[in-house]
Amino acid sequence: MSLDVESIRADFPILRRKLPNGKQLVYFDNAATSQKPQCVIDSMSEYYSVYNSNAHRANHTLADEATTALEGARKSISTYFGTSPDQMVYTSGATEAINLVSYAWARENLSTDDVIVLTEMEHHADIVPWQQLSKEKGVEVRYVPIDTDSFTLDMDAFEVAVEGASLVCVVHTSNVLGIRNPIERIVELAHSQGARVLLDCAQSAPHEMIRFDDSGVDFVAISAHKMGGPTGIGCLLIKKEVMGQMGPFMTGGSMIKTVSTDGSTFQEGHALFETGTPRIAEAIGWGAAVEWLEQFDMKDVHSHINRIASWTAEKISEIEGITVYGDSSRNDSSGAVSFLHNSIQSQDLALLLDEGGFAVRTGHHCAQPLMNALGVPSTNRASFWLYNTMEEAEAFVSHLSYVVDRFSDK
Amino acid sequence: MTESRNWPEKLDPIVEEFSACFDSMERYELLFQYAKRNSSPLLPEEWTEQNQVHGCQSRAHVSCSLDVEGNFILRGGADAQIVQGLMAITSIAVNGMAPSYVSEMSPDFAEEMGIRSSLTPSRANGFLNMFKRVREEAAILSGGD
Repeated sequence: MSLDVESIRADFPILRRKLPNGKQLVYFDNAATSQKPQCVIDSMSEYYSVYNSNAHRANHTLADEATTALEGARKSISTYFGTSPDQMVYTSGATEAINLVSYAWARENLSTDDVIVLTEMEHHADIVPWQQLSKEKGVEVRYVPIDTDSFTLDMDAFEVAVEGASLVCVVHTSNVLGIRNPIERIVELAHSQGARVLLDCAQSAPHEMIRFDDSGVDFVAISAHKMGGPTGIGCLLIKKEVMGQMGPFMTGGSMIKTVSTDGSTFQEGHALFETGTPRIAEAIGWGAAVEWLEQFDMKDVHSHINRIASWTAEKISEIEGITVYGDSSRNDSSGAVSFLHNSIQSQDLALLLDEGGFAVRTGHHCAQPLMNALGVPSTNRASFWLYNTMEEAEAFVSHLSYVVDRFSDK
Repeated sequence: MTESRNWPEKLDPIVEEFSACFDSMERYELLFQYAKRNSSPLLPEEWTEQNQVHGCQSRAHVSCSLDVEGNFILRGGADAQIVQGLMAITSIAVNGMAPSYVSEMSPDFAEEMGIRSSLTPSRANGFLNMFKRVREEAAILSGGD
């Protein structure tokens, strides 16, 4: 079934705005952050206007309402991701979720003899924590290269790298290439070596259904703001058997059972990792976002995005001087189309696209090892979500052609 | 510098040229042309950490010195044409002037040209950071602090 995109767009007030130069906004920077439906904005506004209070630890009405909403959101979100609330830890986003694994699990369980496998496709958020851990604990870090012809992971190299590994950290869908990695095979290979698997689902969660309990993955990191939720919140999903192997991450209020001058005892489960006042409004907003998303079949969402991305990639690759990085013709690709012009520098191109009302991202996309593998310093990236239309894509290709024709070296 | 103008007179024709542009795309096109004919370039092989301007989204470098007569010389280079164009125009403005004059100069000409207002905030900040760096170096070269 196809999506009723007109009706979807009506839920996003920002999509109606015009830029200061009078141009209609066309928002193609969804891989950086998505726009928010009105129900998310309303839910957060309602929390602050009607029942703002700190959650937990109080018996008054507002605290009870805030706690109920916070935990209700956890139930909605965890159910959406195919797991139970007690396996979900609220974090500030995918970056903190990965750092949580690094601090609370890896530092407790890994040492000099251990190996962590990463890929060249990883976001810096899934590289730097492991480099820091390596410096601190002497853990070996191995990188699986990509095949720069197909833009996919070199799975032969993966099979070699995973031998003797204790942890495999891999991005589900590349934020630069839009390529979805073969997670099912990766989990199988990793588990055959006894390695845990951490999956960075920041880009995939807005595009496909994540069923955590069925996936076999040990940790999943997710950011709310790329899937209609607010900024500043995300989660780490943790397999039950693994949670017991983890120590505290940040310490302080909320995560303790008792504190005395002799020492402290800690909570168990997700409460061990949620220190201080929770991000209550943000959690409520994210809960509203997943409830809004539940009205759609994610297969329809993926097909819609993939159709726009594939068409756009094909059309812009026909523009003289443009190289597209990635293979959007793949059915499992997400909605990111990275490209570069051979004479218009990427920052210049982004500004000239902005003049036409088109918001795209420019830079290394926090993936410098991937940029190095591709042999480019940066790319422009157009990324799509369920509210984007083919008409917008057509207008984008037309404006890009006009810019290239007017500004490129001839 | 007159009361109504905070830039050297030699910049007036350029300011007029830009302000006569039909729209921002035409202004950017003109800026690209200035970038290409930058008469005071700093070539990529001369780019160092020391002469890099921080705060620009793209890579930008400036080198400031005095000629034999003690007049200011700015050479600039950037990987983005828009930044390079702004550098080229800035170098037209400041080159040959007394460093004490440059150290007091205002970047208002970019506003008058319609350039600064059409830049994104981060890129406008990049231009202002570049201009601030030029003024600071001019102050040092003029014997100030």
